[in-house]
Amino acid sequence: MTDGDYDYLIKLLALGDSGVGKTTFLYRYTDNKFNPKFITTVGIDFREKRVVYTATSPCGTTGKTFKVHLQLWDTAGQERFRSLTTAFFRDAMGFLLMFDLTSQQSFLNVRNWMSQLQANAYCENPDIVLVGNKADLADQREVQEKQAKELADKYGIPYFETSAATGSEVDKAVITLLDLVMKRMEQCVDKPAQETDSGEGISKLEAISPNEKKCAC
Amino acid sequence: MLQQLEVNVAFLTDSERELILEVLQRDEELRKAEEQRVRRLKAELLDIRRRGAKRSSGSYSERSCGRCQAALGRLSVGASQCSGCNHRVCSACRSSRPDGSWACSVCAKEADLKKTTGDWFYDQRVNRFLDSPGHDMVRVSLRKRPQGENRKLPPATSCRRRISLISSERMHQRSDTESVEKASLSSSRTGTESSHGTPVLSSEGDLDRLVSVGRGSDMLSCHLYFLPFGFLPESNWPTSVLDLREAGSEIDEGSMRDRSKSVPGLNMQVSEEEDEDIDSLVEIHRKNAGRSTYSLRSKSTMGSLMSVYSEAGDYDTVDVSGDIIFSLHYDDRSQTLSILIKECRSLAYGNAAKHRCNPYVKCYLLPDKSRQSKKKTTVKSNTVNPIYNETLKYSISRSQLVTRSLQLSVWHHDRFGRNAFLGEVELPLDCRDLNSSHEECVPLRPKVSRTRSAFAQYKGELMISLKFVAAGEDKKKKKTKDEGGELHVLIKEAKNLTAMKKGGISDSFVKGYLLPDKTKATKRKTPVVKKTLNPHYDHTFVYKGLSLEQLQGMCLELTVWDREAMSSNDFLGGVLLSSGPEKPEYMDEACLWRKMMQYPGSWAEGTLPLRSSMGNIK
Repeated sequence: MTDGDYDYLIKLLALGDSGVGKTTFLYRYTDNKFNPKFITTVGIDFREKRVVYTATSPCGTTGKTFKVHLQLWDTAGQERFRSLTTAFFRDAMGFLLMFDLTSQQSFLNVRNWMSQLQANAYCENPDIVLVGNKADLADQREVQEKQAKELADKYGIPYFETSAATGSEVDKAVITLLDLVMKRMEQCVDKPAQETDSGEGISKLEAISPNEKKCAC
Repeated sequence: MLQQLEVNVAFLTDSERELILEVLQRDEELRKAEEQRVRRLKAELLDIRRRGAKRSSGSYSERSCGRCQAALGRLSVGASQCSGCNHRVCSACRSSRPDGSWACSVCAKEADLKKTTGDWFYDQRVNRFLDSPGHDMVRVSLRKRPQGENRKLPPATSCRRRISLISSERMHQRSDTESVEKASLSSSRTGTESSHGTPVLSSEGDLDRLVSVGRGSDMLSCHLYFLPFGFLPESNWPTSVLDLREAGSEIDEGSMRDRSKSVPGLNMQVSEEEDEDIDSLVEIHRKNAGRSTYSLRSKSTMGSLMSVYSEAGDYDTVDVSGDIIFSLHYDDRSQTLSILIKECRSLAYGNAAKHRCNPYVKCYLLPDKSRQSKKKTTVKSNTVNPIYNETLKYSISRSQLVTRSLQLSVWHHDRFGRNAFLGEVELPLDCRDLNSSHEECVPLRPKVSRTRSAFAQYKGELMISLKFVAAGEDKKKKKTKDEGGELHVLIKEAKNLTAMKKGGISDSFVKGYLLPDKTKATKRKTPVVKKTLNPHYDHTFVYKGLSLEQLQGMCLELTVWDREAMSSNDFLGGVLLSSGPEKPEYMDEACLWRKMMQYPGSWAEGTLPLRSSMGNIK
């Protein structure tokens, strides 16, 4: 499956209460299929997908495209696997924090998952996307969009209502997270360069220097 | 320091265990592919770096491109500086960023590499976790139970197996290439067991003790013990500093190595090898054989690739012989010193056992032993009479030149091991006729002892404060593994550092290790403070899970580096704090260390002179 023919390996991880649909969500994303059967995840699993990522420059124009290999870690929501799953948090670059729109309890637990993340991820404020799944089950809905949106705003993270059954917003949630991770990556790398003041001031002159064309490298 | 990595996996059923191991196996395959890819990428950067670009020194013509050395226009002087490395760069050697700014080709490639290899991520994570990656912890915890494996082992063997797993995990801890190199060095030099990897296993008694640790734990979790210094034979104490024995800039190919450290899963191959031949490895541990598991490892890690470019070679192994033939010429008009390396004759074999020699010539204009003064010829394969006919050039004024000495050294390039030193010559340039360019044939000599080096000198000072916070004082701790005291190291400032960059400045940072554990686990770094020789860092390193007794046997190594944007940093000096045997000249260090232990909870502050090399401590 992996031939190394990609530009970036990005590792994302889905977490949240048992039964919110992490596995089906990822299955929908990678294979575009839906499996309504509930099979509890044993500890940990992952899926992979190759995507093409187009960097957007600050001025809004689209930039280069990259091949990104996504490793999407799926974790068991069950409490008994907790010590195992949290051990994997540190290996992930971004997180899909999921809850079930038809379960108030799973939404209440988002707070706990957040603190788990803060304690166990690679840094204290990792990139996270809040995902309310099972949006297709409108009649069983227990969590209102406004409620969830407010919580996401409080944490300063994006929020999506998805349905693994219909596929609605699934791609968008993952791509948004990928985008956040890629942007952070740029920041991490560019920061040192920005620190140096390029205050030499006359930096326009060299562009018209004819001698430069001699450079042969 | 006693550090335990454990994941409680006792609750798993056998089938669950197997499922998880399968997942980890798939993950490992992905990691391997990734490792290959990262290796390729890093090789590309090395390639670009080696293409004769100038370093960030002042000894180059202001009007040539820092990358391709082509002449720059008069107008462009001072205008086309790369914001990363401060070189003036022609427009062809630039690569523009999306935001409209640009960086030179090397800085751009370096930044690129940081992204594509995932090092931006690993660099951040290392600041947070002393432990190994999660997958490693889990894997080790799972594999501790023999029935998880396909092979059924007799009881005795499975005990040993457990041991090796522990020690292998220990090796994971020091996955960084520095220690890989060091370990192979120490094992080849001392002929005793590498003190790094498995100091615990030096006797049967110790073996048993460890086994009982493994058995006694119902949790099926893995405990890793980082033994303090005092447990090791004294001769092995400073092994972790061996790489610093090469004074000056060359010891550390800087962030390149740092990077290779953070390559994920570089060690996977080895742990597989270990599975294949676990018993013989145990044998090796027991016999204290010279060839440690490290040297096995080093072949399959980035370390070997990097050491190709590292200068830290073996000085002792080769009997120097032969001559080097070269000519010098100084051109006043272009202010360039050209050194034409013609050939070498009758060199010693770099690898005497295999009668192999791949020699290259390296050149410095002493006393500048920084990287910017280093130039090399190509490597000639399989010959002791290599013909180079290559010209190495330095842009330097004549008045500067007469204060310098030309040092030419010949090295055997070893693809898998360490480069071997084949001899050197040193020529003061003040009394040379540099206009005639006549050919000279000079016999090669062995290395001049480092301690007598005229260039060991005052390197400035480092101001630090140390504090030990005893266990239990900080009630906020939630995680059990953080139990124990903490060592806080406040890096305040440095004074009178050596200037490494144009304009008499350095972009410095301080790196810390708590020896004997020279791994990412104890590695700390301050941010880089730019453009000053008197930087204020005001940065605190915290080491957790320590007791005073443990500190007694430990050693804090702080080194100051000039950050070189081309990915290899220059050594500016360092200090070593321990309660170990002290030499009079390093009194201050030992005093401060003792003061810290004497008064837990309060800051012990001191100003320490920087050592010019970390090598000659005993």
